[in-house]
Amino acid sequence: MTPIRSLFSSGAVLIAIVYLVLFAIYAIAQPSALSAFSIQALLNNSLPLMLAAAGQTFVVLQGGFDLSVAGVISLANVVVAVYPMEGPGGALVNLLMVCAIGLAVGATNGLLVAYLRIQSIAATLGTMIVCQGIALLILKAPGGHVADWMSYELTDSLFRVFPVTALIAIVVCLLWLVFRRMNVGIALYAVGRDETSAALSGIDVRRVRFTGFCIAGVLYGAAAYMLAAQTATGNPTAGEPFLLLTFAAVALGGTSFSGGSGGVIGSVIGAATLMLMQKVLFSTGISSFYTGVFQGIVMVLAVLFAAAVLHLSQRGRASA
Amino acid sequence: MSSGSVLSIEGLTKRYGATTALSSVSLEASGGEVHAILGENGAGKSTLVKILSGAVLRNSGTIRLAGAGYDARSVLEARAAGVATAFQELSLLPNLTIGQNLLLPRVSSGAFLPAGRRRILAEATAILGRFDAGDIDPRRTVGELTLAEKQRVEIVRALAHGTRVLILDEPTAALPDTDWLFRQVRRATEAGIAVLYISHRLGEVRELCQRATVLRNGRSIGTVPLVDVNDDQIFQMMVGRSPQSQFPARPQVPADALPVLEGRQIAGGRLRGIDFVLRKGEILGFAGLEGQGQSELFRALAGLNPRVGGTILVGGKEVELSSPRKAMATPPGIAFVPEERKVEGIFGGLRTAENISLPVLERISAAGFVTSRRDAEAIAESAEAVALARRYFGFRMDELSGGNQQKAVLARALMTGAQCLVMFDPTRGVDVGTKQAIYALIRRFADSGGAIAIYSSELSELVHLCDRCAVVYRGRIHAEFAREALSEENLLSAAHGHGAETRERRAG
Repeated sequence: MTPIRSLFSSGAVLIAIVYLVLFAIYAIAQPSALSAFSIQALLNNSLPLMLAAAGQTFVVLQGGFDLSVAGVISLANVVVAVYPMEGPGGALVNLLMVCAIGLAVGATNGLLVAYLRIQSIAATLGTMIVCQGIALLILKAPGGHVADWMSYELTDSLFRVFPVTALIAIVVCLLWLVFRRMNVGIALYAVGRDETSAALSGIDVRRVRFTGFCIAGVLYGAAAYMLAAQTATGNPTAGEPFLLLTFAAVALGGTSFSGGSGGVIGSVIGAATLMLMQKVLFSTGISSFYTGVFQGIVMVLAVLFAAAVLHLSQRGRASA
Repeated sequence: MSSGSVLSIEGLTKRYGATTALSSVSLEASGGEVHAILGENGAGKSTLVKILSGAVLRNSGTIRLAGAGYDARSVLEARAAGVATAFQELSLLPNLTIGQNLLLPRVSSGAFLPAGRRRILAEATAILGRFDAGDIDPRRTVGELTLAEKQRVEIVRALAHGTRVLILDEPTAALPDTDWLFRQVRRATEAGIAVLYISHRLGEVRELCQRATVLRNGRSIGTVPLVDVNDDQIFQMMVGRSPQSQFPARPQVPADALPVLEGRQIAGGRLRGIDFVLRKGEILGFAGLEGQGQSELFRALAGLNPRVGGTILVGGKEVELSSPRKAMATPPGIAFVPEERKVEGIFGGLRTAENISLPVLERISAAGFVTSRRDAEAIAESAEAVALARRYFGFRMDELSGGNQQKAVLARALMTGAQCLVMFDPTRGVDVGTKQAIYALIRRFADSGGAIAIYSSELSELVHLCDRCAVVYRGRIHAEFAREALSEENLLSAAHGHGAETRERRAG
């Protein structure tokens, strides 16, 4: 495969180009889009979905689906709003709380799917419903209060120029680049592609699946945390919009739902693209009712385009 | 060379639910020995291999490795004990590089360390070099490799881990050149390793192995020194009856018989202009080493490679074979029997009967529904033609042995009513009994006026079966032999590019 073709057939590059094109349209339609404030607001809006989509990738890569994303975000979101803790130390405790919730749900999913061999869509549907129920028990209606330190500092900029949220997104991507070269990361791709061959290659398939679900859960917790910081309030149904959007972001980012190919960076940019699209449609005066229509169409086009590029690169290879 | 028993198996039993895959299998292999395991598909060889590899747990029986008890519960534990397998189905991950595959599951040196490209390259290069496979670039993705290359990587990985017992399950199924493998096996035995060698090719087994243990229906029938038995005796042990090895001569196909399938200057990919004519009632063979273009050619004839150049005529009329459906529907109809049935041929989750009746669902369904009774009635004739027992109809396809899966694929090809069969290595990896059934089917099909194009990696098969045989070399028909001139030696030398018969003489 030529370098240019391989570049194009990697989903992350494709979606990054889509993002830049959209951003150019946005900047033309609304010149204030390029202001530091506007960029920061856009990033703040996007980060929760970015984190959730990053988490979902760890499950989709192994060929599974994780619906519990909606439940974990709702649950962790209300926990932060009902038990706010002030100051940086309090924010850290809150962060540990949501990560623990995510880890617990992820571990449950992993146990059900990897060890008890329940289909991922069924197992995570169950945990999602349970989490949503608990969220409603904790907080009946939108309300509560998120600690001030969290909602100010985490949505601000470092030294007034670099948005904290951008830093978090970059850190997640860098961690991913390390993870995908670790034994468990390589094994995740192996398991997603062919479970039997992976086992015959000496991989502990169950442990790899379990680990993937745990990491996903923790990232959902982090997503809920950033959502709370951004909205400064709790909502027991906050996670619901995330359910389908995370899958859309993962698909946009070039990760295959059959498992074994793709990656977190594509999903993160895919999530950013979906959020940017909302802004673009708004700024060009198109009714927000059309947002979903456009998001869906762009997603299908992106997947089609990626498939076409892959097809072309394989043809090129066959005749080479 | 060390001797003494390295591996001894006694009373090994494995049950899957109600079916017994292995019952009281016993076997003993010494260090430095190449020990063949022979048996039809479904005889229990795969199960035995999987138990020894740690992929499947046994129900009872004892296995001793160099005197100590051996009870591997995972592939890693087996490797730790020095037992490794090159699997028939190949256990490589197509989305990873060769280097990553070779080092799995510990690609990186520490659990929390990322694996560096340079380290993977260095280690994989060292492993490949140790086994004379330095020509393989470990940076390539496995998915890009030919079947033969994949097989070599699979074998190298087993060689790297099999320090006491090396298990090779059909290692030459896709290897065009066995020299390299045999060299590695001899080196392993010189180091005192016991090699278990599973192959359907008796020639190889005789060349390489000293003793053979024969399995039949999950039991070990016995262990024999290979010098003491002839092939017929081995077949007899394997099938419990003596097989008919020779075919009666077929009448000559008249040279003016109706052309059923014709190719003119088919090119594209590896193909550089192929001409052939297949006539009614004829069996036309294609021979060739791996990767000479024969698979592109057959895929084109099946409608799976629509962008190929040149002209294809079906029933005398020029057509564009844009899909398998089109190929089937263009009279007199072309049905394709693929090589990798695991990938291309079957729906593992569906019942056997459903798999067979797929092409004719529209014909046998009532108001869009198919009942299993209608299914069974519709496929009875085809199933009988390929000697597929009726009791398998209700099984899920992936529960059948390889031989029976292939029979079902053949039955499905017959169901289409096509008068032309395009078969790509239809007997690869199937047992002796199934092979005989397939040969009989091919001859009957041709006798009743059908036409068959067949590629086979086993030259003896082509010599026995074909009316004519074309040899593909570097994307062209390099030579063509009529039945009188057909011999394995002729085919082999032409397949290596020697003795250009038809084409170059005509061109020059």
